[in-house]
Amino acid sequence: MFLITLCKSASRLMAMLGGIVLTALILLTCVSVLGRSGNTIFHMAWVEALAPGLAKSILDAGLGPVPGDFELVEAGMAFTIFAFLPLCQVSGAHASVDIFTASLSDRANRLLIAIWDVLFAVVLIVIAWKLYDGMTGKMRYNETTFMLQFPVWWAYAVSLAAAVVAAVVGVAVAVIRLQELVQGRVLLAVGGAEH
Amino acid sequence: MSSFETGLWSFPVLLLLIFLRMPIGLAMFAVGFGGLYFVTGGTTVALAKLKSETYTTFSSYSLSIIPMFLLMGQFATLGGMSQALFRAAESWLGHRKGGVAMAAVGACAGFGAICGSSLATAATMSQVALPELRRYGYSGGFSTATLAAGGTLGILIPPSVILVIYAILTEQNIAKLFLAAFIPGILAAIGYMITISIYVRLNPGSAGVREPMPMAERWRALIDVWPVMLVFLSVVGGIYLGWFTPTEGAAVGAFGTGLIALVNGGLKGRDWLESFYATARSTAMIFFIVLGAAFYNGFLALTQVPQELSRWVVEQGFSPWTVLVMILVLYLVFGCLMDSLSMILLTIPIFFPIVSALDFGMGPEEFAIWFGIIVLIVVEVGLITPPVGMNLFVINSMDRETPIARTYGAVMYFVASDIVRVALLVLFPGITLILLRLFY
Repeated sequence: MFLITLCKSASRLMAMLGGIVLTALILLTCVSVLGRSGNTIFHMAWVEALAPGLAKSILDAGLGPVPGDFELVEAGMAFTIFAFLPLCQVSGAHASVDIFTASLSDRANRLLIAIWDVLFAVVLIVIAWKLYDGMTGKMRYNETTFMLQFPVWWAYAVSLAAAVVAAVVGVAVAVIRLQELVQGRVLLAVGGAEH
Repeated sequence: MSSFETGLWSFPVLLLLIFLRMPIGLAMFAVGFGGLYFVTGGTTVALAKLKSETYTTFSSYSLSIIPMFLLMGQFATLGGMSQALFRAAESWLGHRKGGVAMAAVGACAGFGAICGSSLATAATMSQVALPELRRYGYSGGFSTATLAAGGTLGILIPPSVILVIYAILTEQNIAKLFLAAFIPGILAAIGYMITISIYVRLNPGSAGVREPMPMAERWRALIDVWPVMLVFLSVVGGIYLGWFTPTEGAAVGAFGTGLIALVNGGLKGRDWLESFYATARSTAMIFFIVLGAAFYNGFLALTQVPQELSRWVVEQGFSPWTVLVMILVLYLVFGCLMDSLSMILLTIPIFFPIVSALDFGMGPEEFAIWFGIIVLIVVEVGLITPPVGMNLFVINSMDRETPIARTYGAVMYFVASDIVRVALLVLFPGITLILLRLFY
């Protein structure tokens, strides 16, 4: 079905983008740790005594932690998490307790899943909408980060893009669940089994 | 209805929704939102809160440790580290009575040192160890029970995702919690090995024998696990010694594990994507629960329920230890129904103020750390307690020949070992706190 294929491709694409950003943040953090350690080492008394010229030129070249690495990790992480949401939605990977409903009929379970996924879609829409409000607020007050001085709304904007995809996928999943309810068959498996 | 009453009522409503299969994060979010609506008389406050709450939660520097550790676990799984660990443990322990099972526990402990999740540890080690256990004549139920129990070491031995969440909820130092979890984690592994040796003596038919490996091969197998050791030592050592923050440690660990997987040839184009997808699913699941919990707890704090409840318990003059035991029993029961993370997020904001107000003869920080470790263990026992422990299902689904009833029978030995360990840790807080007292 077209809607399902579209949902899966979009959510996989977002997860991939999120994964790439996450990997970049990991590399950035490692470089920062390395730089800081190097900085500490070349500031040690015995290193400075042993090779004063070398230590000075390396430190002057700017060996040290990546400036504002905290801020970049925070901004990037927000995007990553928002980008991860659609895949979780499509694969029904959200944690739930199903032992009490296990004895109910398939139809009753399908009804419950449909209700919760519709509610989920509403919540995801509200989240994206309020994130937009939050972003306009940051734009209005020109809020910038402490170290790098980049506008906070940039991070909100990329997160918003991912949140909108999450909301759209959320709505599509809800529609699919309602179809499942009407047709009485599974169209999109629940529980991360989407291969 | 007063806001206090709304707060009290929110709890049964939340439980009902969760038991009706509502995703836990969504349920906490919805009840928190609805509660705020009733208490503040409109949606204005709740909606205004959302403007920044989602972004702040998702961009939290302390929480960013979670996706990094999850990705690291994925890399470890793909990078063939589970095989190397099991082979090393097996070559040293395999010839003993129940030795292959002991090796599985040892390898789980080793894998737990680079993976922060219980289910992932259990599932990964099962792929490697189950076939070997069956090959050497270990009975089906005993094998699956061993691996289900071994999996819980993944969360006990740092790094641990749940300890990160606990640290944030109770405003404790993550590094100190990791340090405190170390000895209880080792004790758990030793306890499981003792359990195994008791089990095979009581049920002689349940385990076969295996020839000892020559010394040269044992050393070679041990040398093969050096990358894992290196990653673990640099991550945990670096965090303990204050070289880097826990988040930086997670980044270093993920990088190291990824590198090893790459060198081992475990990560091909398709695998990168798969590890991103798996990380995405778990990360989004966890963060949505954290978001829901933040919303629900914000509402609950407004209703004063945690404070009032804590005051009430203190006024009743119960002995602190009675309260503690009651809470632990509650965790044990709920641990069978719910995943550990949701449970921690749901209950700690209520229970922690209660127990903190009682006098256990410890400083507030030591108490918070000790309580966290014990709660973590008790919650994990729930994962292997029949009939609904999640680890049991995961492992059992990987071994189709073994009926789950067999697993249930054998796992009770491990549950007993867990309960003995919890009792020891409760009675002697020093076991948990000694490393902390030495290092800080």
